[in-house]
Amino acid sequence: MSVLKRLLSDRAASLGAAIILGLVLVAILAPWIAPYPGDVTAFHLADRLQPPSAEHIFGTDRMGSDVFSRLLFGARITISIAVIAVGVSVAIGVPIGLLAGYYGGFPGGFLMRTSDIFLAVPQIVLAIAIAQTLGPSVENVILALSLTYWPFWARLVYAETNALKKQTFVEAALALGASDLRVMVLHILPNTASAIIVRTSIGMGATILTAAALGFLGLGAPAPTPEWGRTISEAREFLPEAWWYAAAPGLAIFLVVMGFNLLGDGLRDILDPKLRKGSR
Amino acid sequence: MTSTKTFGNVDRRSILKMIPAAALGTMAFPAMGMAAGGAGGRYVHANNSAYDTLDPHTVNDVARVASRLNFYDGLYRWVDNPPKMIPWLATSHEVSEDGLTWTFQLRDDVTFHDGTNMTAEDVVYSLERMLELKQGAGSLFIPMIDPGQTKAVDKYVVAFTLKEPSAIFGSLVPSILVVNSKLVKANEVNGDHGQAFLIDNVAGTGSFTLSRYDPARGFVGKRYVEHFAGWGDNYLDEIEFRTVLETNTRIQGLMSGDYNGLDGYLAPDQVERLRSSGKVQVFEQESMRVFHIAMHNGRAPLDDKNFRMAMVHAFDYDGYINEIMQGTVARNPTILPGNLWGAPDVEGYSFDLEKAKSYLDAYKAEHGDEIRTLKIGTLAGFSETEQVASLMQNALAQLGIKVDIESAPWPVISTMMQSPDTMPDMVPYWKSTYYVDPNNWVGELYGSRYAPTRNISAYHVDYVDERLEKALVITDQDERAKLYEEATRRIYDDAAGIWIYNTKWYGPYTKNVKNVRFCPVGNGQDMRWSYVED
Repeated sequence: MSVLKRLLSDRAASLGAAIILGLVLVAILAPWIAPYPGDVTAFHLADRLQPPSAEHIFGTDRMGSDVFSRLLFGARITISIAVIAVGVSVAIGVPIGLLAGYYGGFPGGFLMRTSDIFLAVPQIVLAIAIAQTLGPSVENVILALSLTYWPFWARLVYAETNALKKQTFVEAALALGASDLRVMVLHILPNTASAIIVRTSIGMGATILTAAALGFLGLGAPAPTPEWGRTISEAREFLPEAWWYAAAPGLAIFLVVMGFNLLGDGLRDILDPKLRKGSR
Repeated sequence: MTSTKTFGNVDRRSILKMIPAAALGTMAFPAMGMAAGGAGGRYVHANNSAYDTLDPHTVNDVARVASRLNFYDGLYRWVDNPPKMIPWLATSHEVSEDGLTWTFQLRDDVTFHDGTNMTAEDVVYSLERMLELKQGAGSLFIPMIDPGQTKAVDKYVVAFTLKEPSAIFGSLVPSILVVNSKLVKANEVNGDHGQAFLIDNVAGTGSFTLSRYDPARGFVGKRYVEHFAGWGDNYLDEIEFRTVLETNTRIQGLMSGDYNGLDGYLAPDQVERLRSSGKVQVFEQESMRVFHIAMHNGRAPLDDKNFRMAMVHAFDYDGYINEIMQGTVARNPTILPGNLWGAPDVEGYSFDLEKAKSYLDAYKAEHGDEIRTLKIGTLAGFSETEQVASLMQNALAQLGIKVDIESAPWPVISTMMQSPDTMPDMVPYWKSTYYVDPNNWVGELYGSRYAPTRNISAYHVDYVDERLEKALVITDQDERAKLYEEATRRIYDDAAGIWIYNTKWYGPYTKNVKNVRFCPVGNGQDMRWSYVED
């Protein structure tokens, strides 16, 4: 059975995939499906803090802008942060893990101890420190997350590589004269792909949550960017009366993080034979 | 010696008349929520800023005023609204004919919290310390008095010899908070003037003694029974000023009775929420706290008048005041509060993007079409500043000007504002009352003598400086009013800032809090007058 078929047969994983697909579509199509696309920057002060209605399905915010429209545009920021931050983390972490695992010894130990230093501090605390030092902006949030998340991939690939390099197919490739680079890239890396994909999927959810936390703390995009964490931060002053203001982005974060976690779990079940449901 | 000098708004004779009444706190004070009640009680105030220091000489802001007002005393004290000064550690003063020497008679029955008698030497030490540290209210005194010019004439007589006659020195006297010189000297480390010690210790004569302090949580004070002003029948035994940064937590806490009071400058949505809960009382008072957008007049393109005129016409005053502030504040067309003498009668600038565009075109004709991205600094946790910045950003986008908004906590922003190099292009914030004189607003923000620490606008115009300087050395209030009117009008004509509103104070308290005595200088946080009814 193909991976896709197995994914579709797993209800939870397909729900996760559907949520993420929905998020991506919403992000791409935001200018066309948002009822008030201009409300990302436009204000209507006379309509501020209106409850949900047919006109504004998620109500309006403190500047009278449509919460739903801003939510859709916020999805773009969320996806950008998650994809770039996780992408950079993978790009940094995987080569480091691969090199450290393959060569071992002092270089490997040095790289892993470096990653240990980053792992010794809670990720959110480190991200806050970096974002605070660099100043509040989406770019700095991405940088902060990238700098703090790469060790997860480094350690994962290190462990996999360490085990794989002793396998017969690696020894065979080396015996046939393959270079270290060729062995690492063409023989070991593909065999770590499943683990990387699963970690990346789950990591996306964690990254979105941390990015939202940074936005909530005022370290993310400045006003009036419709970033979800920031919107919740703005809205808390109006709770519980204007509940819709915080509830809408809160629900969006919840759904997206759940989507990535469900997909990650499903992929792990599918890609890791040891954990496959049928074999439990 | 002459006795004809005025003292802020109060004639010296009026002050002398007050002395017997002020003794032992027996005055009938006008206050809010006054009712008969039992003695004692505990009051908990939720504050929206942290008390990172208790040193009375290193900070001079509204956010941390409670520690200064309740642990320390000044020579005179601001009370009530409209604000007036009453004798406090000093009983009277005289000014020499040349206006240079101010001599104060001190009370002889004042003791510090450790029981030491307060003398003129303590006043001398306190002012010298303020001048030396160059922080907090000290920066107000530096231009007018040199170190070594404060003398203990007698055990209970202190004399200040100014560099030049000053019309505002009298108004600043309440800011000379007296510390226990023996105690502070004993705790000086490497000539730090006791700074390390006074961060988390109190060496004052104030109405409350420190019983607990944690920079993260706030402070607790116990009534100083031996306070010279006495206590009467009703008082608080204990006060706690707790740091609660989250607005919603403060509101919920007040409604549930966990706190007894909050700051009086909440957003109207919150005030309405508190009112409609039926669980709190909200006192309403005219205040003097001007909300404005300070502009960096010294940096291009804001150094050009046409560009600034475009800015002042690009803010939606009516929308902000009527919709966001729900009409709870009054439009204030200049930096001077409209309810203060010296404020010129001018019409506030209007929101008119067409007009803004025409000024911008005039600017471009002279300087070219290229306009850099402007930066507005906002105060994290103060949503009003963010909303103002967003409105400005939105309007300027329609004029083709890009604006970046950067938010940072007040201590960070205020440090940036101290230097023309780091001051953002615009900063929306409130100019509060520290002493009741036009100089508090127009002088400090636009007078060259206060640059760069207080005049953060980098506005330097000879015509204005001449008037502001003259107003500082003459004592005739009518003449001073005229000078301030002229200076403020010119600053208005130059569009040196965007002046939005003068706020009202909406003091929210639980219903059992009585006798809240509001003064714009202390924002109702002078707790010696209040009590909690059983």
